[in-house]
Amino acid sequence: MNIETEMSQAFVVCISAIFTQNILLSYFLGLCPFIGVSREIKTAFGLGLAVIFVMTSTSLLNWLAYHYVLEPLGLHFFRFILFIIIIAAFVQFIEMVIDRYSPTLYQNLGVFLPLITVNCAILGASLFMVIRDYSFIVTIGYGLGSGIGWFLAIIAMAGIRQRLSNERIPQGLQGAGITLIIAGIMALAFIGFTGVLQ
Amino acid sequence: MKESPQAQKLEEVLRSSKLVAGGFMGYDPRSVTEIIDADLAALARLGFTIEQVASRMQEITDKAIPRLGNWVRIDQQRQAKVDEAKGWLICPWPHTGRFVKRVTTAKLIKSAKSIQWSDLNIHLIAEHGFFEGKGSAFRIEPKELINSIF
Amino acid sequence: MIITVIIPVVVVSSIGAGLAAILVISEHFIADYGPCQININDQRQLNVQGGKDLLSLLTAEKIFIPSACGGRGTCGLCKLKVLEGAGTLLPTEEPYLDEQEKRSNVRLSCQVKVRNDLKIEIPSELFAIREYICKCTDIIDLTHDIKQFRLELQEPETIDYIPGQYVQLLTPIYEKNSEEVYRAYSISSDPADKSIIELIIRLMPGGICTTYCFEYLSVGDEVKINGPYGDFRLLETEAPIVFIAGGAGMAPIRCMLYHMKNTSNNRKATYYFGANKVQELFLLQRMQAFESELADFSFVPAVAAPEENSNWQGEVGLVTEAVERDLKDVSQCEAYLCGSPGMIDAAIEVLGKLGLSEDRIFFDKFE
Repeated sequence: MNIETEMSQAFVVCISAIFTQNILLSYFLGLCPFIGVSREIKTAFGLGLAVIFVMTSTSLLNWLAYHYVLEPLGLHFFRFILFIIIIAAFVQFIEMVIDRYSPTLYQNLGVFLPLITVNCAILGASLFMVIRDYSFIVTIGYGLGSGIGWFLAIIAMAGIRQRLSNERIPQGLQGAGITLIIAGIMALAFIGFTGVLQ
Repeated sequence: MKESPQAQKLEEVLRSSKLVAGGFMGYDPRSVTEIIDADLAALARLGFTIEQVASRMQEITDKAIPRLGNWVRIDQQRQAKVDEAKGWLICPWPHTGRFVKRVTTAKLIKSAKSIQWSDLNIHLIAEHGFFEGKGSAFRIEPKELINSIF
Repeated sequence: MIITVIIPVVVVSSIGAGLAAILVISEHFIADYGPCQININDQRQLNVQGGKDLLSLLTAEKIFIPSACGGRGTCGLCKLKVLEGAGTLLPTEEPYLDEQEKRSNVRLSCQVKVRNDLKIEIPSELFAIREYICKCTDIIDLTHDIKQFRLELQEPETIDYIPGQYVQLLTPIYEKNSEEVYRAYSISSDPADKSIIELIIRLMPGGICTTYCFEYLSVGDEVKINGPYGDFRLLETEAPIVFIAGGAGMAPIRCMLYHMKNTSNNRKATYYFGANKVQELFLLQRMQAFESELADFSFVPAVAAPEENSNWQGEVGLVTEAVERDLKDVSQCEAYLCGSPGMIDAAIEVLGKLGLSEDRIFFDKFE
C-alpha cells in the first residue's frame, strides 16, 4: 500500500476508534481507573492526556517489537508477556525523564503514569493492533484515536459526575454503582455513531 | 478500585498520625470517598445539609468561646464549653488554612449526653463533608450530632 | 523440541533483561542527581545526596526548619529563600506565597527537590537551633491535668535561650503514634541554670505528645528536644508589666519572673492568673516567693467558678474581668500574654478598653 492510502486508512481508523469503536464504551476496556478517577474534571483531564500519550507510544513500540522480534522468530504467542513488559518499562522510563526535566509537567501528568501501567486498555490497544494487522502508520492513527476516545469518555463522565455531586443518590448505587449505569447509558449513546463511517 | 494519585495521597495523610494522634480514619476500612458519601446520604435522610450543620456548630462554639472554658447555656436544652490548647491543626486536604486547637463540648442537660468537636471538624464537615472514619477519636455520627445540636 | 523451548525463553528473558538494563542505566543518568552542594547564608556548605526534598535534607543535617504537616506541602511553614538552583515554582507551592515572596525567591522547602547545587538563605534564628538529648529527671503533678517535667541536658550540656522562648519536644513512635512528631512547649525553668529545662504541659485528649508525656514517659527516660524558638520575650524598657496567663500558659511567665529576679529587675509587674476552679491553681507558693523576691510584683489569681467548700477569698470571675476591675489606665504599660487563643483575644479587647495600644501587647504565638 502506498503512503497516501495508508494515511487515509489511518485517519479512518482514528475516527472510528474515537467514536464508533471507542475502546472504553464499546469494548469496556480500562474501566477501573475510569470509575475511580472520574470524580473531578481536573484529575480526569490529566489522566486522559497521560493515557493518550502512553497508548500511542506503546502501540508503536509494541508494533516494532512484534514485527521485528516476535514474527521473525515465530514467537507470536509471547506477545502478551512482551507487550506488558514493554509498557511497564516505557512508563517507568518516561516517568523518570519527566520528573527530571519538567517538574511542573510531572505534577500535572507524571503522577498518573504508574496508574496507567495496569490500565488494560493500553494492552488492549496493542493486541487489537496485532489482531487487525495494522501497518505502522495505521497504528499511529489507531493508538492516537483509542487514546482520544478514552480521554473523551472519562472527561464526559467526570463532567456528569461533577453535576451529580449535589444530588441525592440511593445509598446502594453510590460511587461505582451509579457510575456504571451512566457508563452504560453513554455506551448506548455512542452506538448512535455506528454507520457514520462507511 | 483505582483512585487518582491525589486521592491516594489524601488517604495516606488521613491514615497517618502526622497531624493528629491516631489519624482521622480510626479502624474504618472504607476509603475516604465512601465514608463521605455514606455520611452525606445519612445526613440527607435526616433532612439536613452540611451548611446547616456546620453553621449551627459554629454558632454554639462562638457562644462558648467568651466564657474561656466554663459552661454556658446555649438554649433551654443544652449547654456548651470550649477547651483550647496552643498550636495549630492543619487540614489534611491540600489547601491553605490552619485551625486553632479548640474543642467544643455540647451537652444535653436532661440526658447528660455530650458530643465533642474541634474547629477542624467544623471545617472538615463544611468544606469536605468529612465526619471522620469510624473509630477515630473525633468521629462524629451524623445522627448523634443532629440530636445534640438541633 | 528442546530448541523450540529454549529459543523463546532466551528471547523473552533477554528482552526483559535488556529493558531492565536500560532502566537501570537511565536511572543512573537521569534520576540520580549525584552529590549536591547547598550553600547556606554563605556561612556553611552542606554536601548532600541529591534527589530528596530540601526540607528533609536540611533536617537530616540537624538544621530544623518549622513544619507542621510533615512535608506534604499543606502548612506553608517551611518557607526559605532559595537564591539559586531551585527550578521553577511548582503549582503546589503557589497558594502559600504572596507576590513579594515570589519575587524574593521564597520557596516551600518541602516541595523543592534538590537536583543540583543550591544557594539558600535561612533566618539566623533558625540557624542557631540545635538538637539536645536530655534525661527526664523529675515529673511533678501540678493539677489533675498539668504536669511539670524537668529535663537535664546530656548533649550538648547547656542551652542558651531568652526567657519566653520555647523548645520542640520529639514524640517518639509509641503505641498510639506511628511517626515521630514535634510539639512546642515554652521553657519554664530558671534561666540561671543552663543545664536544665523545665516544661509545664497540660494533657490534651487525643494529643499525640501530651498523651506520650503523661502516660508513657518516666523519670530516667531519654528525651530529645530542639530549639530555642520564638520571639516572645521581655522588652528592655522600664514600663510597668501586666502578665496575663492561665493554665500551662504560666510556663514562659515563670521563666521571665526568674529572669527578673536574677537580674534584679525592679519594674512594677502584676501577674493575673486565670483558672476555672480553685483546684486548678498551682505553684502558688512559687508566685508568693516571687512577691517577696522581686521589688514590685503582685500575683493575682482569679477563679471563674470557685467550688462551694473551697473558701476562696481571692478574685472571682474570668481573668479578663479581674483585670478590668483592677486596672484603670494601662496606656503606659506593656502586656505579656500566654494562653488559649480565646483568652488572648478577650485579654486584648479588655486591655484595649483600658487604653493599651496593640503594639504594646505581646503574646506567645506558637507557629
